[in-house]
Amino acid sequence: MKWMTTCKETTELASRAMDERLPLPERMAMRLHLAVCKNCTRFAQQLKEMRRQFRTETADKDEAPGLAHEARQRIANELQKKLDS
Amino acid sequence: MNTLDANTWLTEHGDYLFRMARRQLHSDELAEDAVQETLLAALAAQARYAGDAAPRTWLTGILKHKIIDLIRRQVREVEIPRDADGEEAVDSLFKQDGHWAEPIRPWGNPDTEAELSQLRRMLDECADRLKPTMAQVFSLREVAGMETAEICKELGITPTNCWVLLHRARLFMRHCLELNGFSKVGAA
Repeated sequence: MKWMTTCKETTELASRAMDERLPLPERMAMRLHLAVCKNCTRFAQQLKEMRRQFRTETADKDEAPGLAHEARQRIANELQKKLDS
Repeated sequence: MNTLDANTWLTEHGDYLFRMARRQLHSDELAEDAVQETLLAALAAQARYAGDAAPRTWLTGILKHKIIDLIRRQVREVEIPRDADGEEAVDSLFKQDGHWAEPIRPWGNPDTEAELSQLRRMLDECADRLKPTMAQVFSLREVAGMETAEICKELGITPTNCWVLLHRARLFMRHCLELNGFSKVGAA
């Protein structure tokens, strides 16, 4: 067994930690690596920042394009068909 | 007797539902389908809609299921990414010995409205560039906030597959933001 995980392995652990609580050995391995690696520390922070931005955004009203006119018309027609049936 | 009107839903909530669907499905067409199916389902179920929730909340709840249905259909049609899929792209980010090939630059703190909206646009653009299944699983997790176990179960993919997809999506997203100059945003 290696005494320390590589950056590549650490990114896998950091990603998994975003989804579930890591088992103790993995958590320790990640902490040990992050303590000495600026790149992976930034990577782990940026995963969290990405999530924060994505989740903040959906809560907000935003400027992304809405339904296209044709699509809106098509959906209105489908609803009318259903109402008439 | 019934004051609910499907056309009012479309007028008042159509854009909102579309944006929500678009951000998780990464396709205009699929998002339009999701909105249509949501409103049709709402129409069929309106007798059961007690009106105790705001219409938008009620419609959003239906939309969530429609989005998952559409993704599930896609996952069935498109081949589930194998382990090798995307592995080369991941490898290119690291050296042989497992160290980063390029240093990870710090991100600035976007605090002005302009910087934030630039970041959000970039996030959407980068997510659209992921492979469809990867993009959708990523968005169910990071945008919609579904639990990983729930995503695997709903889509019928193994936890390992799910987790590999998420990890690769995150690596690519971060890389894409950096390539698009995000590290310079707000870092003045």
